[in-house]
Amino acid sequence: MFGATELSFTYPSGRRGLRSVSVRADPGDRLVVMGPNGSGKSTLLRLVSTELPCSPGSLTLFGQASRPPSRALRRRIGIVQDTPIHVDDLTGMENGLLFAELYGLSREDSVGILESLFTSLGLEDALHVPAREYSYGMKKKLLIAQALAHDPEMLILDEPALGLDPPSRETLLRILEERSERGVCTLVATNEPALAQALATSVVLLHEGEVVVQGSPSELLARVGRATRIEVQVPTEPASLAAAGPALEGLPADILSIQHLPGRIVAESESGPDVLPQLVSAVLDAGLKIERIELREPDLTDVFTLFTGQAMGTTGQTRGTDTMGTDEENE
Amino acid sequence: MSLAVWRTEWLTASRRRRLLLFNVLIPLTFVATIAFSPAPAVHAAAVFTVLFALFGTFGSSIPLIRDGETGLLRRYVLTGAHPGGLLLQRVCATAALDLIELTPSVLVIAAARGGSTSQLAFLVPSMVLGLLAANALGALTAALAKSVAEGALFSAVAALLLLHWAGTFRTPVPGTWQATLEAWNPFRPLHESLLAAAGASGPDMGAALLTAPVGVTLVALLLLTAAGRFTIGLGGR
Repeated sequence: MFGATELSFTYPSGRRGLRSVSVRADPGDRLVVMGPNGSGKSTLLRLVSTELPCSPGSLTLFGQASRPPSRALRRRIGIVQDTPIHVDDLTGMENGLLFAELYGLSREDSVGILESLFTSLGLEDALHVPAREYSYGMKKKLLIAQALAHDPEMLILDEPALGLDPPSRETLLRILEERSERGVCTLVATNEPALAQALATSVVLLHEGEVVVQGSPSELLARVGRATRIEVQVPTEPASLAAAGPALEGLPADILSIQHLPGRIVAESESGPDVLPQLVSAVLDAGLKIERIELREPDLTDVFTLFTGQAMGTTGQTRGTDTMGTDEENE
Repeated sequence: MSLAVWRTEWLTASRRRRLLLFNVLIPLTFVATIAFSPAPAVHAAAVFTVLFALFGTFGSSIPLIRDGETGLLRRYVLTGAHPGGLLLQRVCATAALDLIELTPSVLVIAAARGGSTSQLAFLVPSMVLGLLAANALGALTAALAKSVAEGALFSAVAALLLLHWAGTFRTPVPGTWQATLEAWNPFRPLHESLLAAAGASGPDMGAALLTAPVGVTLVALLLLTAAGRFTIGLGGR
């Protein structure tokens, strides 16, 4: 369906967006690209969607060279960009019709398709409401409906679940899985490990524009084991973290490893939360102030940390989610 | 090709009723003040021509730059729609809207200065031509500008230069190279017809005055369509 070989991109400012990235996906694949902000996720998506020129490197889409991008080729792709852009004075349905017509659908066909998509995504009550009155999440749903209406063979989605409520995320996952079963190739950029694990048939981890590792979620998770992660958030003071190192060495054998990352200490525990009292005690004894403790199962951010030695994103309530920003910030 | 962008322009204009009202009332106020004043016809016509040309140029370039900045144009192009076709639809729609918004002003000129039916009849194609040219010029300046401020500056300078070469600000001198330029300039019929409507005796109003400018405007629109992907395409902004 698409194949990128040695794809690189440098922004006009001189910043390298991507360096020699090679990825491919076949019909029915759901390829998820993960990485911290600025790692090149959005750049890769913009290259594959033919928005940016792919030089150096080469890109084939549907078995054809993507340069110059033909209009017929673009019609076979559905795009959800990270920032919702609509004609604010038009209603959701009018916006949907505008893009359906631009993709080559007739108005008559589009109305039924859009009504059905709006209903699936929970937007049926906002069908005739101007887009300017939509919330961020509703605008994101409208983008998704616009991308799906012409039944594209390939979907490119940048942070598609950002701003969606949990039921809508489930609906989105279900729709993407259904399309995938019909042979649609899906390329998704996200910072959310849960979404990636639920959706991906294959995951690519990017760091500073380069591929760190790629494989299926299960293959990648196998690299980090099944031990529970205990994340202890502490003030970011490198000197105090370094000083705490020796104090944390005498912990029980159930703790397989201790990682010192900026602002946090991550322990791998084979016995789940049982080691928590000893770990907390050791951290406090080391003179560190605990801001927050989180227990979780290993996810794809741990794979990223394993390969780069760096944390992928933020932790806490919005763990793994990105904040809204400009295109380049959201990469 | 679908007329989705053409339809969107009309729908958007109908939703922005306040803006629509201002777009009618502001030129009308300006035009009425001058038309009912004892201003000489040559001066009044020059002011009207500048106002109408800038109305078209600014009205085309600024929304295009804004939509380029928000990424809406890029989204249009990524659907596989022909960029030049999109641009042509936009330019034609905004020119048609300008014509509607400026019609009350034209009627006031005719009422105040006692224009004849034949003069008014000639004003219609001249307005269409002038506004199409102004909107095409706005689209071109939008392609070169990197901000709304730049777009406004480029539009103003380009339109005023073209108006100068249309003979709007000087007495025609037949047989000179300026006269040749004027004959091809799409703003010339607009100026001449407004001159006549404002009460000055201009040259004979006829199809001959329109032929060359119509040709130039059509070529400009064709070039704009052909170069659409550079104008609103993916590399520009």
